[in-house]
Amino acid sequence: MSSQSHPEPTAGPSRRSMLRGAGAAGAVGLAAAVGVGAASGVAAAATRPAADNRAAVGAERTADAAGAPLVVYLRDAASGELDIFSGTNHTVIRDQALVARLTNAVR
Amino acid sequence: MSSHREAPEISKDPVADSTDVYAFVSPDKPDTVTLIANYIPLQGPAGGPNFYSFGDDVLYEIHIDNGGNGQDNITYAFHFQTKLRDPNTFLYNVGPILSLDSANWNSRQFYSVTRIQHGKSVLIGENLPCPPCNIGPLSTPNYANLANQAVHNIAGGIKVFAGQRAEGFYVDLGSIFDLANLRPFEELHAQYGMHVFSKPADGVNATAHLNVHSIAMQIPTWELLRPGAHGEKDAASVIGVWTTASRQQVTLWDDWRGENVNSGPFRQVSRLGNPLFNEVLIPLGSKDLWNSLPPTDDKRFASYVAHPELAGLLPALYPNVFPNLQKLVNAGTARADLEAILLTGIPAGIVPGFQNYTGPEQADMLRLNTAIKPSKKPNALGVIGGDLAGFPNGRRVFDDVVTIELRAIAGVTYHLVDKSYTPDGAAGVITDGLTAKSVPSGYLSHFPYLGVPYSGFDTPS
Repeated sequence: MSSQSHPEPTAGPSRRSMLRGAGAAGAVGLAAAVGVGAASGVAAAATRPAADNRAAVGAERTADAAGAPLVVYLRDAASGELDIFSGTNHTVIRDQALVARLTNAVR
Repeated sequence: MSSHREAPEISKDPVADSTDVYAFVSPDKPDTVTLIANYIPLQGPAGGPNFYSFGDDVLYEIHIDNGGNGQDNITYAFHFQTKLRDPNTFLYNVGPILSLDSANWNSRQFYSVTRIQHGKSVLIGENLPCPPCNIGPLSTPNYANLANQAVHNIAGGIKVFAGQRAEGFYVDLGSIFDLANLRPFEELHAQYGMHVFSKPADGVNATAHLNVHSIAMQIPTWELLRPGAHGEKDAASVIGVWTTASRQQVTLWDDWRGENVNSGPFRQVSRLGNPLFNEVLIPLGSKDLWNSLPPTDDKRFASYVAHPELAGLLPALYPNVFPNLQKLVNAGTARADLEAILLTGIPAGIVPGFQNYTGPEQADMLRLNTAIKPSKKPNALGVIGGDLAGFPNGRRVFDDVVTIELRAIAGVTYHLVDKSYTPDGAAGVITDGLTAKSVPSGYLSHFPYLGVPYSGFDTPS
């Protein structure tokens, strides 16, 4: 027989969790009209792989993210991780110094 | 409703809200399969001046599993783009719209179709115009002819249509959402001791005179099957179908531009396979999550199918009407019949001459055995009405899915998996009191099969 337990959310931010999270304490959302290159000096960049057909279609729509608006989302300052969105790309970087500057900027 | 406003988040996002999915062997062209995904629920036909349109920022998809594992082997993706001829007028149109390239039509929408298989995308249609909404006799005279112009033949021998249609799904929302009242049986409802109802009443179709937006495709059947499919008994003749809508992860209001800016990968916000699955079976706290997941994750929700909440409510709300169902619920018996209908398909040997089994993988998909020919005398009750070409063998536009699923949950199908079980007499007659004739527009006998949308001028508000 099937499990009776409630399913847990999958890892990674969804649109909804992000919108909800944006109002939570400690979360910082930033939008910048700069290219992806502006973050190129940040260490430990990791881009999530295109996992399925949807990603393939999305990539087709905005293959060139350079010049597109860039949005940075800081979900948890303690983790030092920043989600960066541009075009149809999502990149996760870890930069404690940048996180510190961002959180200081909104105090 | 089938899946209209079925979950908290998507109820706030109508353009991405899938309402119904249909999949059937085309009755007038039986070497093809028709797939329809409806979006934007409960449209009041007079809803101008910004009449309804698909979301330019939404990725709409129709998925087909032909491998029996709940994963999409073929996907058709749709992107829409709205174009204004004149942004300096508030008007949708400045004169009668007699053709899709009418200079009088200001706010037009176009779309592309992409076929994705084995991770490769092939653009099979682009710059395809949608029809306008049905406004009235001055703006959209001879609407049926106008809509016919929006049926396009694209690569692969595929016929496609995307635009407004009359709602074909019928349901008595007003009574059902009033604590599961069913008007034809309302005198039997416990009524919480209030004695409101003393006699049966006719059902009321809450979706009559409302429109939806449809994405419809008619596809040569062979294009949807894996190689070698042959005959009704062959598992390879069965496809699983569902639709999804996705949005980019970030939406930010750019007050300098005066519009939303979207960024990031597309993420699924709506999903629909079998009617009423998320709506009736999945609990409120999990509905948004369910909408974001693929069918392959549905095993995590299988307990809600095996032990549906509504099966427990029916005996409580209708005392002494469902005694055998009450015993089944009290015993905690898993509903293998519902698991088969909704999650795996029905294996051979359960219903004589029929199977739409895709394997043990539990996934909510509309399963269509494409080798079963269209019925010459269709019965809107589908398989439980003896018509193997209807729901849950796919779903036709006129199928009475509310009655079928009510009866199934009430136990009428449980004896198929347990011959010792005798369904309650009420389980075989329970209904919300509506039939396909409750749809004022009727249906078309040809693609796209859903009726001409109700016009704003003619429809009472």
